[in-house]
Amino acid sequence: MNSPKELLRKEDLRLITGHGKFTADWSYEGMCHAYMIRSPYAHAVIKKIDYQQVLKAPGVIRVITAEDVQQAGMKSLPTGSTMQNPDGQNQVLTPMPVLATDKVRFVGQPIAMVVADTYEHAKHAAELVQMDLDVLEAVTDYEAATQSQAPQLHEQANGNMSLHFIKGDQAATEKAFEQATFVSSMGVKSQRLIGSPMELRAVVGKYDPVTERYIVHTPNQGMLGMLGALEHITGISKAQIDLQTQDVGGSFGIRGGAFSESVLVMLASKLLGKPIKWVGTRSEIFLSDWHGRGLDLNGFIALNENGKILGMRFENKADLGAYTCYFGSFIGARNVSITMNGVYDIPAVSMSSELYFTNTVPVSAYRGAGRPDIAYAIERLIDHAAFEHGFDPIELRRKNFIQPHQFPYNNQIGSVYDCGEFDRLLTRALEMSDYQNFEQRRAQALQNNKLRGIGLAYFLEASGAGTAPKDQVLGQFAKEGILRIYAVTGASGQGHETSFAQIVHEKIGLQTNQIEFVAGQSDKVMVGSGTGGSRTLYGAGSAVFNLCEQVLEKSKALAIQLLNTKEDKLHFSNGSWTNTETGEALTLAQMVQKTFVEGQPHALNATGEASSGATYPNGCHVAEVEIDPDTGVTEIIQYIAVDDVGVAISPALVQGQIHGGIVQGIGQAFFEQAVYDETGQLLTGSFMDYAMPRAGCLMNIKTEKIEVPTKNNILGSKGVGESGCSGSLPTLSNAVINALRPKGITELDMPFTPAKIWAALQDH
Amino acid sequence: MQITVNGQTQELTVQDNTLLIDLIRDQLHLTGTHSGCDTTQCGCCTVLMDQVAVKSCTILARQAEGASIQTIEGLALQDLHPVQEAFSQEHGLQCGYCTPGMIMSTVYLLQRYPNPSDEQIKEGLAGNICRCTGYVNIIKAVKSAAKKMQETKA
Amino acid sequence: MNTFQYHLTNHLQLAKDIFVSNENARFLSGGMTLLPSMKHGLIQPDHLIDVSKIPDLQVLKETSDHLIIGAAVKHDQVANNPMVQSAIPGLAYLASQIGDPQVRARGTIGGSIANNDPSADYPAGALALKAMMVTDRRDIAAEDFFTGFYSTALEEGEILSQIKFAKPIKSAYAKFKQAASGYALAGVFIAVYPDQEIRVTVTGVGAGVFRWTEAEQAFLNPKMKPSIERDDLISDLHAPSAYRVNIAQVLFKKAAQQIQNN
Repeated sequence: MNSPKELLRKEDLRLITGHGKFTADWSYEGMCHAYMIRSPYAHAVIKKIDYQQVLKAPGVIRVITAEDVQQAGMKSLPTGSTMQNPDGQNQVLTPMPVLATDKVRFVGQPIAMVVADTYEHAKHAAELVQMDLDVLEAVTDYEAATQSQAPQLHEQANGNMSLHFIKGDQAATEKAFEQATFVSSMGVKSQRLIGSPMELRAVVGKYDPVTERYIVHTPNQGMLGMLGALEHITGISKAQIDLQTQDVGGSFGIRGGAFSESVLVMLASKLLGKPIKWVGTRSEIFLSDWHGRGLDLNGFIALNENGKILGMRFENKADLGAYTCYFGSFIGARNVSITMNGVYDIPAVSMSSELYFTNTVPVSAYRGAGRPDIAYAIERLIDHAAFEHGFDPIELRRKNFIQPHQFPYNNQIGSVYDCGEFDRLLTRALEMSDYQNFEQRRAQALQNNKLRGIGLAYFLEASGAGTAPKDQVLGQFAKEGILRIYAVTGASGQGHETSFAQIVHEKIGLQTNQIEFVAGQSDKVMVGSGTGGSRTLYGAGSAVFNLCEQVLEKSKALAIQLLNTKEDKLHFSNGSWTNTETGEALTLAQMVQKTFVEGQPHALNATGEASSGATYPNGCHVAEVEIDPDTGVTEIIQYIAVDDVGVAISPALVQGQIHGGIVQGIGQAFFEQAVYDETGQLLTGSFMDYAMPRAGCLMNIKTEKIEVPTKNNILGSKGVGESGCSGSLPTLSNAVINALRPKGITELDMPFTPAKIWAALQDH
Repeated sequence: MQITVNGQTQELTVQDNTLLIDLIRDQLHLTGTHSGCDTTQCGCCTVLMDQVAVKSCTILARQAEGASIQTIEGLALQDLHPVQEAFSQEHGLQCGYCTPGMIMSTVYLLQRYPNPSDEQIKEGLAGNICRCTGYVNIIKAVKSAAKKMQETKA
Repeated sequence: MNTFQYHLTNHLQLAKDIFVSNENARFLSGGMTLLPSMKHGLIQPDHLIDVSKIPDLQVLKETSDHLIIGAAVKHDQVANNPMVQSAIPGLAYLASQIGDPQVRARGTIGGSIANNDPSADYPAGALALKAMMVTDRRDIAAEDFFTGFYSTALEEGEILSQIKFAKPIKSAYAKFKQAASGYALAGVFIAVYPDQEIRVTVTGVGAGVFRWTEAEQAFLNPKMKPSIERDDLISDLHAPSAYRVNIAQVLFKKAAQQIQNN
């Protein structure tokens, strides 16, 4: 094929021609296929499981059971950080076993893995299992889980409570409310969602008995996190596991750690001496990928007579699902608290959060992980307070913004905000949305029997400080002058290969086709965080920048040699060193080619590193919607997004992230909800019942960025991956409520389906 | 059975219950076509069958006997297809998993409507789900591809 | 999917013979309903008899009074055919709203009608358009054909080969899609025949397609607001029955408006 015309990203060529390599694309000679046996009940005691018929079925090689897991000495899945109260009280942990032993606690919980010669045989055989289960009553929501006679999921968790988490200054906040002239409250539900990245989760594993090493292919968000989880569960040293993943079809926070299937495939490949492949079906994924959100956030705000916020507090409830897995607790406790003042200067803040269990799929991170939820709660609360007490919602926000001179701003509840120019972004968003003339448009729409609404939200979120003390990247030159950069990040569509090449190109002038970014090579391990919390660009990217600085410095010495001159007669620009006396010039690539010695690391090789703290991307979004009262259908007339992501390295990719986050927000606002019935059966078990946004759900969107560079990393960049979600939830809900308020509706929960909106209108 | 895939006619042995997607991925090792759901909705498996976009996960290989199948791997000839170029240039893909199916659906859409309206684009992509891009740039890519293809004809 | 034997024939009689001489056989047309069911293990036939290439099932023709569509004719053929668009525009539009482009390229009218999903579109069209289901052994009128929730009057081994629609003076279809599946949360078909004979049918709202007699009266008396009172109204996680009834009323108005405008 002829060399292609200018493509936007380095990743694109393989992906648009069908040559990407996702986990299920891997195949090995003699590979066997696995199928999971899962619990059909939400809550039951396992009396006996009989695999006889399964084992006799055609093609079946083995069934991996809880006994095998125990014999292999496996631990349960990681529970993530343990949340702790100021008085030292730790949350009750309920780790999820790789395979259920005595009890099952959610529909879909893994019970065993059938391995056969073909997928069909494994699936067919699995259906022949005979399970003797004592079905117990299930609880699927807060009310049911916490009422006095509720069936208890775990012995150690009384009342199905993991922790009643508290944070902040309760006393100061109480005082603020006592002194307030105006008080408002608004409770919102951020409903349980099913993340549904398009790539079906899969694992392909191969064990080499000679080296005792495992090859594992599975989608992940960075090799160290996945290896860490695999090591924790199996006890097998990371050094024995070769995690090879090329392309990942979306992760959104779900793929950070290992699942039961990940370690079972490893075990099976060892026990059977054969490569094993497991690929989930979408219906299975609905029941086995961690769910997202599941938060009830009840906000209270205290204002003085001028509308200055004196205090804010939240009483929250976080549904953890059946087990403490990975990030659920972190989200429901820490993440919804550390930015609970939003962009406002509030002297007294406090919160409490009940982390509880239900017989549902465990909850973990999903794009935003609590930050879109708290942004939603704050901005709805502000709008409601403005409405209740006669303040203009824009002015109420403005007068309470943290002012530029107040940065770095310690919000006294877990964050030191780096910088922001909230008023500037707000003003721009108002301009772009023609906010001031909205009421005319509302009146006009009403003449056509349509309810228009405008919603504005100013969100701020914390991008991750990362899990590692610093980020490193390895830079190695090859003899053609190509620079290969190795890292431990984990892309799933963000375009890291392109962004990092961009950083290098801008700093040291190498052409982007001379730069290769490779993450996740097991022989190239270094210190660094995986991808999550919207930090890879500034985390690993800063390390890339530092790498470039080192390369440049080292290349100067080489240039002195090769150009036969002194330091003061050298000039670097556009990727070349020039001898200013003779005019002779060499590109970096040429310098490498001239001096490369086969088998020896090149002199310009270096390890870049950087420590990058959390950053605080923020933005002002405005949505104008129009509701047809006859059908309850909402049309998004216009969506404006003005975002401060600090320095934007790859503007097109930044915009793509914002689009993606906003539309996932549209999904939550208008379409999606994981619905369980009282027996714990997931009613929304496939795309037939779980509605995903489709092409055209957002037609008229304008995005703009205003860069307020952060000092928390070399690049000056803030995160962007999750901002779209944090911006869109409050913006869209404020717009819908704004449209419905004239009809007397002031509270309504997402998803704003046509049926729900119509019903609300009927009641008023 | 005989089937033509990306221009190559071949004799293959299939089980009666082999799906077209399985034939493509497992037997022919063309893994660009993806499976993304089990309710025939996501469109990741879309290929062209006798120039019509179909979901290969819901067609038996036997039903495709004698047909001419084009997968994503067969789209580019000497150069990339304008739709492929447009998808990259307009940043209409991020993780790339839905992309092959989305591209094949777009090729079919532009075949029927060389200068599609917004409504026709929405309708044309109604059978393809993307979780990453929010579709905004995908729609831009479709329009850009339409323009490119009209310019080539002119 | 379970293992089965696939049979392909372009002779109607052979298709019948194969069915009769094999246990647990099913007819396969487009496969857009049957294959997903088989993938989920809900249906596990031992034999699949592909009838999609039988010439009788592929006809698309008209007489002065009727439009005759073969059971294996695909949705996008019905949607895009100029004869259908001119004779029964409501039917062409109905077909264009089924599923998505890829599904319409394979799914067939016979498959849809023989399945009688309570949220499918074709039953509404068939009942409104006085359809005659022509099978290999008899003709069945639409009101006798749709017998209930996912059930029809088809006997074991009976092959639906053509559907004869009575050409109306005017026709229109309006649909409100369930956001996840694309099926009809409600769908209303109006067919106008000579002598003020109005037929209004509703899908997606009850246990199966039904004639909406109040709407038929309301069509001629615009001051009436037709309601639906039945004991088989669907309430599910997507919408309570009250909403479905409301949407049916909205769709009726919309379809009626289209007919007035043409």
